[in-house]
Amino acid sequence: MASGVLLQLNAELADVVARVQRSLVQVHNGRRGSGAGTIWHPDGLVVTNAHVAARRSLLEVTLPDGRTAPARVIAYDEARDLAALNVDAHDLPTVEPGNAKQLQPGQWVMALGHPWGVPGAVTGGVVIGVGSQLPELPPRPHEWIAVSLHMRPGHSGGPLVDVSGRLVGVNTMITGPDVGFAVPVHVVKAFLREAFRV
Amino acid sequence: MADVLKRLSDEMADVVDTAGASVVRVEARRRLPASGIVMAADGVIVTASHVVEREDNIDVGLPGGEAVSAKLVGRDATTDLAVLRAEAGGLTPAAWADMDSLRVGNLALALGRPGRTVQATLGVVSALGAEWRTHAGGKIDRYLQTDVVMYPGFSGGPLVGAGGAVLGLNSSALLPGVSVAVPVATLRGVAESLLAHGRVRRGYLGVGAQPARLPAAVAEQLGQETGLLIVSVEPDSPADKGGLTLGDTVVALAGNAVRHMDDLLAQLGGDVVGTGVPVRIVRGGQVQEAQVVIAERP
Repeated sequence: MASGVLLQLNAELADVVARVQRSLVQVHNGRRGSGAGTIWHPDGLVVTNAHVAARRSLLEVTLPDGRTAPARVIAYDEARDLAALNVDAHDLPTVEPGNAKQLQPGQWVMALGHPWGVPGAVTGGVVIGVGSQLPELPPRPHEWIAVSLHMRPGHSGGPLVDVSGRLVGVNTMITGPDVGFAVPVHVVKAFLREAFRV
Repeated sequence: MADVLKRLSDEMADVVDTAGASVVRVEARRRLPASGIVMAADGVIVTASHVVEREDNIDVGLPGGEAVSAKLVGRDATTDLAVLRAEAGGLTPAAWADMDSLRVGNLALALGRPGRTVQATLGVVSALGAEWRTHAGGKIDRYLQTDVVMYPGFSGGPLVGAGGAVLGLNSSALLPGVSVAVPVATLRGVAESLLAHGRVRRGYLGVGAQPARLPAAVAEQLGQETGLLIVSVEPDSPADKGGLTLGDTVVALAGNAVRHMDDLLAQLGGDVVGTGVPVRIVRGGQVQEAQVVIAERP
């Protein structure tokens, strides 16, 4: 107790969360509540889930500084459950991409979003496993990150980050109160590469 | 002291990696495979009894990726443990933890290998307690509850402490809705008995019984308010041969008071098989003594 490891741990957890919250947006699709989104590029590129975009071409996002702006859906992939939005804003803070392929079971991760509409909330836990053959999952042609934490509706589209605050995935769905799934960051990169040929 | 969070995360992943070398996949049921723990390098695997639904065509997936066939050595449904012998050598046996240093609030990881790779969830030790009995009557040396998530296929896998050693075997069937583990002492004791005898020996009386209140006068005389009312007697069972009949109320066995079913089960361990013990009963309002020779439960 005297060494203060727990206090140090708490401070570091809070630092990571505060940093990542700057790149977390709310996505309003005009229907029930709001989903989340992650700022990918300073010039207004936001990544979220296809199911958050909900087949609409125009959405509204609330940026971390409280500004609300219209967002145009510029790419959409239902199979990967990903969508890319463009917001007319610049110099936005982004999350540094990490490497989901190197994630190990037991590593600490945190998911940010707006569970049940609570803005900017975080839940932490460990990586259960990474792969395309996980129990409980619909067959999809790409990998998933299974995580043991408390994702809820409203976390969808938000960032899943590692202990350094690097983006390893996009929160996408849950199979129970304690198990969530994220689309790995390399799948997001492939989606953006195919959509914009960059 | 910097980067505590990163070091914690890295060490947890290291624990999973190291302990995962002793975690195997157990394919012995139709739906999702479950997990098992390597007990000995020559292929001895301990797993949960409830995940072994078939006794033939059992496969074990090794940490290296190879799948080998395995035979069921024996099982004890009361503690939900089973031992398999896999056709493999050179496996990495699990390291067993010292449970005495474990405290409520300590971190623990549940490991499983329902697929090719090891998987993990994290929790804390929620409760530690004394010896308890499962619904099926099995004796567990201590109560060990955590809040780890039992991901599908984790039954039969280890609960691992911060030191990387195995604290117990996780089973989702022991207490539904609660993550409890069978601690090392019971795990190893039952596994050794299964390896030696193919079964766990337990005493057998041959009665069906339910708790019942004693008449006030008898209760005062004996200093206990309840006993076990016999509602059925198996023909040729120890109880039958000892002259116990329907309507008797058992109040003591071998001099120890019997108030509830647990009191009776606690006295029917493997060590009393074949021994004669006195049974105190209440029959027709009178306290009487009978003698039974405990048999082995079939």
